[in-house]
Amino acid sequence: MSTLKGKRILIAKPGLDGHDIGAKIIALALRDAGAEVIYTGLRKTPGFIARVAVDEDVDAVGLSLLSGSHKELVAETMQELRSLDASDIPVFVGGTIPAEDRAALTEAGVIGIFTAEMRLDDVVAEVARVLVPVRAA
Amino acid sequence: MAVAAAASKADGQLDRRALGRALSRIANTSVEEALDGMRETAGGASRIGITGPPGAGKSTLIGRLARQRLDSGAAVAVVAIDPTSPHTHGAILGDRIRMDGVADDPRLFIRSLASRGANDGLADNIADVLATLDGYPFDEVILETVGVGQAEYAVRALVDTLVLVLIPESGDQVQAMKAGTLEMADIYVVNKADLPGAERIASEIRAVARLRRRLTSDWEPPVIMTAADRPDDIAALHDAISRHLAFARASRNIDEVRRLRREYHVKSLLMRTVTDILAENPRAVDCSPREAFELVVARLRERRR
Ligand code: B12
Ligand SMILES: Nc1nc2c(ncn2[C@@H]2O[C@H](COP(=O)(O)OP(=O)(O)OP(=O)(O)O)[C@@H](O)[C@H]2O)c(=O)[nH]1
Ligand SMILES: [Mg+2]
Repeated sequence: MSTLKGKRILIAKPGLDGHDIGAKIIALALRDAGAEVIYTGLRKTPGFIARVAVDEDVDAVGLSLLSGSHKELVAETMQELRSLDASDIPVFVGGTIPAEDRAALTEAGVIGIFTAEMRLDDVVAEVARVLVPVRAA
Repeated sequence: MAVAAAASKADGQLDRRALGRALSRIANTSVEEALDGMRETAGGASRIGITGPPGAGKSTLIGRLARQRLDSGAAVAVVAIDPTSPHTHGAILGDRIRMDGVADDPRLFIRSLASRGANDGLADNIADVLATLDGYPFDEVILETVGVGQAEYAVRALVDTLVLVLIPESGDQVQAMKAGTLEMADIYVVNKADLPGAERIASEIRAVARLRRRLTSDWEPPVIMTAADRPDDIAALHDAISRHLAFARASRNIDEVRRLRREYHVKSLLMRTVTDILAENPRAVDCSPREAFELVVARLRERRR
């Protein structure tokens, strides 16, 4: 419970993709784990998403992509973040990501890729593992 | 915890990265750090507070209003607060998404905050967040409170102009609010005037407004009916806010304003500390009220050493 307390996370939908069920489920799951979640709504440009990430100074951006255009949109969003001096903000990706594309996304700097086969608890636990530094006991 | 020196980049552009980070630092400040960094404000950006019950249309109106104020040449920042769950500590910061139309306008800076420990309609460290914005080149800051009930009017102390947004369904609330939030507002809005019942509630509020004028000040709070989609209504609200800001600037006693803001600041830090102490000592209230009280006071003293 509350493993993500105080963490601010932006869930964003880049491009023309109108599938928002997964993004909303993830937003609620992260909230229930203690995070403060901002959701952009559908059909946002990479430039807009990067600007919101900067203004809100989030601890992570989660892109939800079910359109098939994930490689292009992830690359553009990373580029926009760099141009705003915010390449240090970690980026997660979720949605319909075929196994053969995972390496390319990881290469581009994405630090976690999540698909519908994964259990929600495991998704949240993995996000927490990356965002919350383990405290020395 | 000084205001970031680099308010803007060399080319005069707002340094959004620096501002974003400064606001996170302030929002995460402990009581102890906040005490040392406490700053006086009043004299920075004009502050417009928008409050009202959940779902009244505060964010939607702010979106429209911000667009109009930006177009009239003001540099505007919005701070929007949503409630933190006391159980999970999580929050959905959903105000931004309602500010459609203007949220993707790069002239506007929007910051969403979770209320965290605060239960007065505001957020932890909100006084310092607003003070920090005073260090950046904004003419106006619009502050959206959490959706509130009858008695959460702490925002009053922190803003120059307070707008209370009600809706036709708030009918019964007007009665209940008479001795609370309703007395504090400078401008009343009956939003969702496209729905039935708006005129009836507007006339109830007008009666309260007239009474207030007789009792207290030279300002008779206007009652404005709005439908978020009607530009004329937004223009009327925009004008009323401009008029009240001018009135407040001309008539306010700056020392008194500062005193009220300081009082809010100290009170909110004390409240947070007491809440923390009670959370850390769940057995503290297992004795008589007097003993529990003494225990909390003792813990308070220990913290200050
Ligand atoms: C429901 C659905 C629709 C609904 C969407 C309703 C809505 N408001 O979302 C409707 C009917 C509108 C629709 C329309 C279309 N769809 Co459709 N749709 C689906 C379907 C069947 C399920 C999607 C879904 O909601 N799943 C349930 C949620 C919970 O899962 P999820 O989104 O994957 O999210 C989970 C994980 O991926 C992950 N996750 C997701 N995002 C994120 C973000 C972060 C940060 C993290 C950590 C995790 C995470 O966590 C979630 C929870 O487990 C899929 C098929 C499929 N198996 O995915 C096709 C599918 C996505 N659709 C598809 C297509 C092509 C379309 C259409 C273009 C037309 C068409 N041929 O049907 C239109 C276009 C819509 C548009 N404007 O974009 C294709 C996409 C192809 C591709 N990726 O290359 C799919 C894959 C079907 C297919 N096999 O062809 N669709
Ligand atoms: N009919 C009608 N609906 C409106 C109007 N203004 C806003 N709404 C709707 O009311 C709902 C709530 O609007 P918000 O702007 O989110 O309200 P809010 O007061 O900010 O809500 P909280 O921040 O959750 O307290 C949304 O569905 C809006 O579309 C209006 O003038 N008329
Ligand atoms: Mg709102």
